[in-house]
Amino acid sequence: MMENNVFQVDFDAVEKEVRFYQKEQAELLNIESAVQQQWVDKNPTSFHRNERATTTVLFGGLTLMQDAFIQAACTGIGYRFQALDCPDNDAMQVGKEFGNRGQCNPTYFTVGNLVKYLIYLRDVEGLGTKEIIDSYIFTTAGACGPCRFGLYVTEYRKALRDAGFEGFRVLLFESAGGVRQGGEELGLDFSPKFFKAMFKAIILGDVINLLAYRIRPYEKTEGEVNKILESCQQLIIDRLEKNKNVIPALRETKRKLSVIELDCLRVKPKVSVIGEFWAMTTEGDGNYHLQKFLEKEGAEVDIQPVTNWTLYMIWAAQYDARQQLKLKLSWKQKTGLSKKLILLKLADVVMKAWFNRYAKAAGLNDYHLADMELLAKDSHAYYANELRGGEGHMEVGKLIQAVKYQKSHLVVSVKPFGCMPSSGVSDGVQSLVTGQYPEANFLAIETSGDGAVNVYSRLQMALFKARKKAQQDMDNVMAEIKINADDIQRKANKQNPKTVNIYPSHRCASTAANRVYQLFDR
Amino acid sequence: MSRSICIGIDVGSTTAKCVVVDAGNMEIIWSKYERHETRQAEKVLELLTQIHTDLPHLSSSDIKAFITGSGAGPLKDIIGARFVQEVNAVALAVEKLHPDVNSVVELGGQDAKIILFKDNPETGERQIITSMNDKCASGTGATIDKCVLKVGLEREALSGLQFNDKKIHHVAAKCGVFAETDIVNLIKSGVPAAEVLCSLADAIVMQNLSVLTRGNTLTAKVLLLGGPNTYLPFLQQCWKQRIPQTWQERGYEPENSESSDELILVPDNAEYYAAFGAVVFGMAEQSEEIKYHGVSLLADFILHGRKEKLGDSADKGLLSGQSELNTFRQQYQIPVFQPAHFEKETVIKGYIGLDGGSTSSKAVLIDEQGELLCKQYQLSKGNPIQDAKELLQKIKVYAQEQQCELEVLGFGATGYAADVLEKSTRCDVNVVETVAHMMSAKESCGEDIDVICDIGGQDIKVLFLQHGQIKNFRLSNQCSAGNGMLLQAMADQFGVKVEQFSDVAFNAELSPKFSYGCAVFLDTDRVNFQKEGFSKEELFAGLAKVLPKNVWQYVVQIPRMSELGTKFVLQGGTQYNQAAVKAQVDYIKERVPDAEVVVHPYCGEAGAFGAALEAKRAVNRRGYSTFIGLDETIGLKYTSRTDEETRCTFCENNCSRTFIDTETPDGEMSRYIAGFSCEKGTVESKEAVVKLNKERRKLKADYPNLVDYEANMVFRRLPKDKVIKTAEVDNALSSKILSLLSLRKKQLADRGALEALRNAFRVGIPRVLNNYSNAPFMRAYLEAVGLKSNNIVFSDQTSEELWNEGGKYGAIDPCYPAKVSLAHVHHLLYKKNNRKSLNAIWFPCITKIQSFTSQMSASTTCPVVAGTPKVAGAAFTKEKNHFEEHGIDYLDAAIDFTDKKLLEQQLFEIWSPLLQLTADENHQACVRGWQAMHTVDIELQRRGLEVLTEAEKNNTIALLMLGRPYHNDPGLNHEILEEFQSLGYPVLSIRSIPKDTGYLKRFFHDDIEKGLIKDVFDITDVWPENYSVNSVQKVWAAKFAARHPNVAVLDLSSFKCGHDAPSYGIVDQIMSVSKTPYMAMHDIDANKPGGSIKIRVKTYAYALERYQEKLNDRSASINELEKRVKQKRLDLLQQHIKQFNSDLFIEDSEKWNKIGQQYQQYLKESSDKQDSGFEKVVAIENAGVNVQFSGDLLRQRDDKQRLRAKRYREISEQVALEEEKMMGGENK
Repeated sequence: MMENNVFQVDFDAVEKEVRFYQKEQAELLNIESAVQQQWVDKNPTSFHRNERATTTVLFGGLTLMQDAFIQAACTGIGYRFQALDCPDNDAMQVGKEFGNRGQCNPTYFTVGNLVKYLIYLRDVEGLGTKEIIDSYIFTTAGACGPCRFGLYVTEYRKALRDAGFEGFRVLLFESAGGVRQGGEELGLDFSPKFFKAMFKAIILGDVINLLAYRIRPYEKTEGEVNKILESCQQLIIDRLEKNKNVIPALRETKRKLSVIELDCLRVKPKVSVIGEFWAMTTEGDGNYHLQKFLEKEGAEVDIQPVTNWTLYMIWAAQYDARQQLKLKLSWKQKTGLSKKLILLKLADVVMKAWFNRYAKAAGLNDYHLADMELLAKDSHAYYANELRGGEGHMEVGKLIQAVKYQKSHLVVSVKPFGCMPSSGVSDGVQSLVTGQYPEANFLAIETSGDGAVNVYSRLQMALFKARKKAQQDMDNVMAEIKINADDIQRKANKQNPKTVNIYPSHRCASTAANRVYQLFDR
Repeated sequence: MSRSICIGIDVGSTTAKCVVVDAGNMEIIWSKYERHETRQAEKVLELLTQIHTDLPHLSSSDIKAFITGSGAGPLKDIIGARFVQEVNAVALAVEKLHPDVNSVVELGGQDAKIILFKDNPETGERQIITSMNDKCASGTGATIDKCVLKVGLEREALSGLQFNDKKIHHVAAKCGVFAETDIVNLIKSGVPAAEVLCSLADAIVMQNLSVLTRGNTLTAKVLLLGGPNTYLPFLQQCWKQRIPQTWQERGYEPENSESSDELILVPDNAEYYAAFGAVVFGMAEQSEEIKYHGVSLLADFILHGRKEKLGDSADKGLLSGQSELNTFRQQYQIPVFQPAHFEKETVIKGYIGLDGGSTSSKAVLIDEQGELLCKQYQLSKGNPIQDAKELLQKIKVYAQEQQCELEVLGFGATGYAADVLEKSTRCDVNVVETVAHMMSAKESCGEDIDVICDIGGQDIKVLFLQHGQIKNFRLSNQCSAGNGMLLQAMADQFGVKVEQFSDVAFNAELSPKFSYGCAVFLDTDRVNFQKEGFSKEELFAGLAKVLPKNVWQYVVQIPRMSELGTKFVLQGGTQYNQAAVKAQVDYIKERVPDAEVVVHPYCGEAGAFGAALEAKRAVNRRGYSTFIGLDETIGLKYTSRTDEETRCTFCENNCSRTFIDTETPDGEMSRYIAGFSCEKGTVESKEAVVKLNKERRKLKADYPNLVDYEANMVFRRLPKDKVIKTAEVDNALSSKILSLLSLRKKQLADRGALEALRNAFRVGIPRVLNNYSNAPFMRAYLEAVGLKSNNIVFSDQTSEELWNEGGKYGAIDPCYPAKVSLAHVHHLLYKKNNRKSLNAIWFPCITKIQSFTSQMSASTTCPVVAGTPKVAGAAFTKEKNHFEEHGIDYLDAAIDFTDKKLLEQQLFEIWSPLLQLTADENHQACVRGWQAMHTVDIELQRRGLEVLTEAEKNNTIALLMLGRPYHNDPGLNHEILEEFQSLGYPVLSIRSIPKDTGYLKRFFHDDIEKGLIKDVFDITDVWPENYSVNSVQKVWAAKFAARHPNVAVLDLSSFKCGHDAPSYGIVDQIMSVSKTPYMAMHDIDANKPGGSIKIRVKTYAYALERYQEKLNDRSASINELEKRVKQKRLDLLQQHIKQFNSDLFIEDSEKWNKIGQQYQQYLKESSDKQDSGFEKVVAIENAGVNVQFSGDLLRQRDDKQRLRAKRYREISEQVALEEEKMMGGENK
């Protein structure tokens, strides 16, 4: 209350009336309505432990094999995980309708795939929107760039909002292993147990995929490998769902696969598929069924295991820590970094050992995960190791290694239209690499969900050269050992039955040539 | 023994070719080449049947068939032919027929291919390098065909056309749609047909040389293959001129110095190379034996087989039955327009509106009440004046036929032709298309419209209305399609009149699912679907169905259509196509069930109708018309001239211009100048340029363009006294004085040599990408280590010339900012270096940069931007090492601007070997770098604060450019900002927004209070995944604009920008919820889309004018409110005083003053306590106070800096003293 020494005027009363009047007049003059509203992105991420039993966690995006194993492994540790189908062109259309313009097509495929499934639940299964929002969540990996991969979750939210599923929860687990949500009673507990299940599934998927791509081109009876693998996959899933040791299932897989009759003497071009992570991993419309197409055209496909990606992440962290160690830091900081490096080294060793253990059990012999240090060294002159995003220097490194160490006859680098690290940088650098390694047979293809005809046509163009190279390998080995085709056949007819179905060790790119080395004990 | 015969079949996108080859001697014994008119299977059947008729002795069992070409896939198994990929086929044919050829360029209907033969020096093997165009480089046969149709040149004239590089206009051949847009603009500007086609040829050749060669040189001999190269002499001549130029540029000399005709040749029978090559290939690869089936299976397939294969992938047709069609037609059939009929000898008074569209021109006559009397239409004939003359003549005839007199009261023009007509006919209004369409829709369909969707020949325009005014709008960018032209082109391809399109489409029971998007992609889809066997009915239906997707999903990008309202008006010539309307209605109603969709009754002439209405309004308001008159217009004589004399010489761009001189029957002359790329092109004499420049300077002073200011400032040397010394330098200096001195002692010995080295050292830095952020650091760092200021050389700003000269080395096609960087490196290598030798080019891979925003998960740059230095390095070391050749070190090592210590280390590793730096020198230089960055930031913010203060004070609008730092480059932003500057809007950059927390609190206070954000620079409320530094800054700036009433936004993004794409939706939401004026220009690329920019600028300017009115209204309301409140307070006060102390009399002014003072005091105290929502509104309006406040803050900060500077000077003196002592000591 104001003191009114001179005149007893009640300012409060006056002001009260003035304020009332002001409000009334402001409304009359239409001023109040002009207060600016501001947009806020509702980003619901709450998922409590008590919801776990009634909530289905949707996910997807790796190979079919890996998605199936993740589903099983997470079931085994008490979650209701459900893998989405491999994204198809319809999913991409949905993604385009609800996503931002100018996105790369893995975004459209994966985002569209989720929205498409939710629309299916709503329109076909007849679930209410609220019910869907309450009983389903989606989880995906995130990253701190620099590629837009880490921004997918923004796209998921936008598409879900625009498709009428505002409030649908998208939970992000950092690929580096961090946890985004706060709170103690987490529904999705990104604990070591969770990541162990995830990595187990990923490594298992890699091992089985690698086995399949190795032997399928050489099976004598078409379709046999896939048939047997299907039953093996189920064996592994059964173990995973019960959270049991998978080694017996892998041994059984090895036994079952070893009876398939192979003819590794067929001269086939070996094609390394590299490029953008999703485009080279997916097995559907997203890369025009690239792997299947190549096999149909008579090639052996050398796929990239997802485990390599994990090793790359570990390598990147190690590299950065080592860079930091060069700086003038306090003793405490240096100790911290050294500890970090030890832990990272341990992680690297564990991942490799884990992979090798499964590989050995399943019969994936003589397979070596990429040596990240060597890859970085081989590529550094062309592509700075500090440049991250996508596959970083790995694309360039893989091409160099494919030529340098005779790994394949053709390197296909597949990437979405406008992929930043891959078509925006790597391909530019690859032109220098191919200039310096003229023997390289390299083909970069962009995918955008249409124009498959052009892609196939270009692949066929490159395969022509690859076939010639494969034959050259065979001719070379024959010249080296001084034998002819009849000698090989004779030897093959007399070979030790135990070694018939063993995929030969690497000496050169051609499996048939390697088989000849194997036959002649060279 | 029977002869072994091979048939080679090549099925391309437009033609089919067949050769019959004797396998014994590889001789061609039969050949034929025909257009298949999209009936590939039928044409192949015809050709094969012909072979069997002409060569009756052939038995199918002796034949091996090989098939190649984009249409081969579905036919190979049916014919029993081995498939051969076409590039392989051509390569083999060339190897066999021309062993001395090193390069092949083949242009087809839909694709372009380049084949290079290189000898591997190690193995001696001849290697084949091939490349095909990616989807975006479709400037090939089909584009040429379409453009030839557009310029209206006969085929005979085409074969006689000679290439002339003296009259080349800008055409973007990156993509067919871009090229067509430019061609239309050239035609509309009156550029002669021959020049248009030469420009197109040049653009296609340059595009192929710069992109398709993937940075390789086409070494001699070069073979030109494919339809366009074979049949268009001007295209051949263009190659023959341009290829040797690239040889010269790259220092390549053909081994034998033959003439270009011998080095670059078009062989006879070039059209058969693929077919013949298929045979060569097939013969070489015997592994797969395929049995030739003859023609019977193919005939059967054509009759029955194709349909069966279509399977489930197809969509439904447009209709479920005849009854649906009847109902639809009843509701949406546009009534046939009947022109008004008049009694003989009536004087018909009215206004004429003319819309010079991209493909057609329309004119209408309306009466004084705005009723439509007659309308006229014609396909554009190339020159806008000619079109206008003919249309007006038709209107005159309309009156004459009724024996009436026509009195034209006014004339309005819109569309591409409006500018020319404004000059030549002095029309009453030159109205932008969007506004014309709004006027027209409102007149015909009522004021309550929510959305107007106009689909013209080339553009799609969608306007959102509120209270009868444009609230927002979307225009198709260059990368969009599904427009009228596409439907027209499709109808043409199938020989169907466009009027019958819908009749055909309605007959389809199913339709292929096209992917929406670019017209070039759609055409690729069309070819594929056709190959799959879809009929024309189905293709038409499919295309009609893709149209709404293009409009609503690609152009409009608002998925929840119901938010837009319920009344939709469809207009534009495409709405005459009932199939298109049906697809639109179905699409809209599916998403907005209660929508009312109205088709404009004169949909084709809606623009012209709007222009007439606007002319009527303008003439009524003005009281007279400026129009020269009907007969005068019809009688206009005009000449169109493009030659060396008309070329603009006022800057180094030397734009080719067209002068259109018109003369009215009474002898008045006017000149319209077309084809220039900047304002200088609008004048003809030096004096006029001087005058223009003077006006520009004044304009720049009145309405500052801080984007431009920043673009220049960051690269300039900072005057020493302006550099703000931060605390860091104090600490750095004071704590390290001793160590410094001891190090310097050692250094002093060979200081002379070092100084000389550093003094002479010249560094070139490309003026690109994130150097637009960090250049102040880079310059200051180098200066601090001892480089002379003028030895730090930046490449010039991006220009067309710079791009054309250096843009041909890249192997990839990323966003323009990235690929133009290569041209900048080239510029440094060949321009700056030639002037005075450079020692190094520094183009670091910048992986992270600092940001003023907070709570970020990281601060990374875009991977393309970061990696481009490596791409540039690859491009210039691939064929030969350009750097080594010039003795230049190329420094592209990665640096990280977010980690100061790491940066220091990285810089030391880069520079120490070259400049022999000590660690301390390096450290000091880094400190200087940071100081320079800080100085630039403060200066820009000071200017920004001035602009904002001025805008708030005068209640006007400032335009904020949301862009990445390199969009400051006028060569990248296409000088769009200058357009707005010339309209009287000052322009702000993100960096120039004041970052003073005190200043910003007023905008973000509420959000902090609500706990949505932690501080004023936090954007997690709208974007938690915020690691892409430049995009994050854009989003923050969008938030700022959304909270500042005087800021409108212009959002620029480059084509293929992967980091901006995820933020489109976010920025859009921020802008639309806060109702901030906003215009986006995404997909900016190398070419400047002049026409598209013009219409956007005009439309946005219209929206800004409306917003300005709103601001004025609001300000007036607030003033009025203040007045009323003051009065009320006074009244209440009097009443209260009377109540409490009735004998106190008002006349005593001293007492009154006391009450006043008390009251002021009271108000001040209470306002500190209370803070109602309403008062905040008023507070925002009274921003002046806060600005003052913030200004004070900045001043305070300046004072602190002055103190620091003083301290710095003191320490420096101390150091100098110490040094002197030491020197003295040593001397002794």
